[in-house]
Amino acid sequence: MYQQAAWVITLLLSAFVIFIFLFVLMKSGRRVEYSKVQAKGYFLRSIWLVILLVGFSTASYYTLKDLPFERAEGKGAPLDVYVEAVQFGFEVSEEKLQVGDYVAFHVTSSDVNHGFGLYDENMNIVAQTQAMPEYTNTVYYQFEKPGTYTILCLEYCGVAHHVMSKEITVTK
Amino acid sequence: MGNILTVWIDTSRKRSVVFPLSLTGVVLLLMMFFGVLMLLEQGNVIELGAGMFYKLLTIHGTGMIGIAALAGTAVMWYFLNQYLDLKLGIFIMNIVFFLIGVTMVLIGIFSYDFAGGWTFLYPLPAISGGMWGQTAAALYLGGMLIIGTGFLLLYLEFSRAIIKEYGSFAKSLGWPQILGIVKGYGPAPAIAAGTMVCIVNITALITGAAILAMSLINLYIPSFTIDPLLAKNMIYAFGHIFANSIIYMGVIAVYELLPRYTGRPWKGSKALLIAWNMSTLFTVIIYPHHLLMDFVMPKWMLILGQVLSYANGLPVLVVTAYGALLLVYRSGIKWDIASSFLYLSMFGWVIGVVPAIVDATIVINHVMHNTKWVPGHFHMYMGLGACAMIIGFMFYLTKVEGGRQDNRLDRLSLWVFIVAFLGLTGSFLFSGKVSAPRRWAVHFQEWVPADIIGALFGTLVTLAFLAFVIRFINYASNIGRMKSNVDPRIEKHG
Ligand code: HEM
Ligand SMILES: [Cu+2]
Ligand SMILES: [Cu+2]
Repeated sequence: MYQQAAWVITLLLSAFVIFIFLFVLMKSGRRVEYSKVQAKGYFLRSIWLVILLVGFSTASYYTLKDLPFERAEGKGAPLDVYVEAVQFGFEVSEEKLQVGDYVAFHVTSSDVNHGFGLYDENMNIVAQTQAMPEYTNTVYYQFEKPGTYTILCLEYCGVAHHVMSKEITVTK
Repeated sequence: MGNILTVWIDTSRKRSVVFPLSLTGVVLLLMMFFGVLMLLEQGNVIELGAGMFYKLLTIHGTGMIGIAALAGTAVMWYFLNQYLDLKLGIFIMNIVFFLIGVTMVLIGIFSYDFAGGWTFLYPLPAISGGMWGQTAAALYLGGMLIIGTGFLLLYLEFSRAIIKEYGSFAKSLGWPQILGIVKGYGPAPAIAAGTMVCIVNITALITGAAILAMSLINLYIPSFTIDPLLAKNMIYAFGHIFANSIIYMGVIAVYELLPRYTGRPWKGSKALLIAWNMSTLFTVIIYPHHLLMDFVMPKWMLILGQVLSYANGLPVLVVTAYGALLLVYRSGIKWDIASSFLYLSMFGWVIGVVPAIVDATIVINHVMHNTKWVPGHFHMYMGLGACAMIIGFMFYLTKVEGGRQDNRLDRLSLWVFIVAFLGLTGSFLFSGKVSAPRRWAVHFQEWVPADIIGALFGTLVTLAFLAFVIRFINYASNIGRMKSNVDPRIEKHG
């Protein structure tokens, strides 16, 4: 799950950052010639730069393969579901779906910007896109588990923003 | 004649930052209190109602960004006066515009119920769903336009002075040194940073003014419509750049003061100049990372949004924060509250980059966008980064220019601030991880515990900040009046 991955990566890297800053803080006392620090520091910096470049490139390479707005090859023709957001609710063309359905949600809005956030039964976001007036965003999602899914609004749209919701049932 | 920490500028310039910084202290404090109220509301501890929550959200976002930017200009102004011949009148004019604009914004929100968010996403200001009307939106948008105009004029003045002194932006960004046409060090880091801020913010403010003006016209002439996607692009270009510029202004205090504290120079080396050129470009063009969930955007823009957001981490990770670490390492630095805050600000910036870069990854953004993860990451670099720069500068001023000495309360509040801000932002990130949306007045039961923990940490942050403000205001009136800090070369009559 991407949320879990994001959380763990963030915690690990944060711990690393805390360690580095505490380390330098501890070593800030006894003064040595700056040119000595620089010589070593600039060498380490080039290694650091290479690590970052490699890290970023690898991450980009793998994460850009699986984009949520692109239809996955080999899943067949998606089932089209039309979603229209309006202050303060959602109109959905198909409220009952089946496990295994590969769905293309075509999302738009008839007034202001809203967000289309698809939550699973455990209230984790599994897909989202923006609901915009005059435009239709398409997001693809394959339902793998049965249950009640909830669409919540993920773009601030006024005083009843948090009230906007719609349930979709997915059966076996 | 002063000491090694003194910055040699005219005493009238020194005094000119006292009012904006005092105002910053008071406004930040109030906005923090509003932040705690929002968390208490989300945590079901108090009952303000959704309308009030969204008004607080709007004023908190607007007020925080606005006042931190004002403080950022005070930092930039203070130090650039060493290098440039700047007009005091324009600095003061910006503050006046700010006060007028803020008054309009406050009336729009609290008397006329405007709650369209600081991002005033078109066409929400005009289509409120019943909560506010035309006057409210006009007061808010008009106020923002006036605030923006003041800032724009100030950056034009900075630009004029930079170009007069250095010849062109290319030169003040060190192109001759980067290209090897001129040997040796380029302009001081403060000048490179100042140039970057001028370029990006003039771009941002003109874009912002255009969309504000169009939204205002649309309010009164509904047949005048704007393409919603264009409007969104313009708003996020403006909002992203302007909010980001705060830390790039604040960092000038680090560039200028850390060398004085460590007795080591921080020069416009080639690496530093390249970094600032990268930041200039990236800051302007990476704003599409706010539109990663707008799939109608051209695909290449979204991919660039991810890749360039990663790249945008490089200047700070490899040059600025890294440079600060080198400066401090085995330097025998004399730690005081001010230098601690400046060091903290580098830490806050770097640690804030982590969840930001994670979230700029499209597949992660797909399940984290507009969750509380987002305020989680920007509160980190705003609170522990940008605010730490501003607070560090304020403590520096009252110490070196105001005769204050660090005491136990200062040290205690410093540590409370650090730990509590980490706790606050950690609670936001956790909420984001469990899919709690941002900008929701009412939270489901499973999200409530994190809100209550956040409110506790937020209260501690606010109390620590209250202590800073009291200390600043107590000594602020001395700033620019101490005989020992008057440079005999500058002021003959003093
Ligand atoms: C005690 C310290 C603070 C607390 C308790 C606090 C709390 C909050 C809360 C609860 C939100 C709304 C989160 C949501 O969307 O559910 C928020 C949003 C925000 N805060 Fe803070 N905050 C604090 C400090 C700051 C600082 C120092 C800054 C910037 C300098 C800042 C800038 C913002 C901005 C720009 C937003 C976004 C508003 C929007 O979504 O329209 N905050 N804050
Ligand atoms: Cu909404
Ligand atoms: Cu951004």
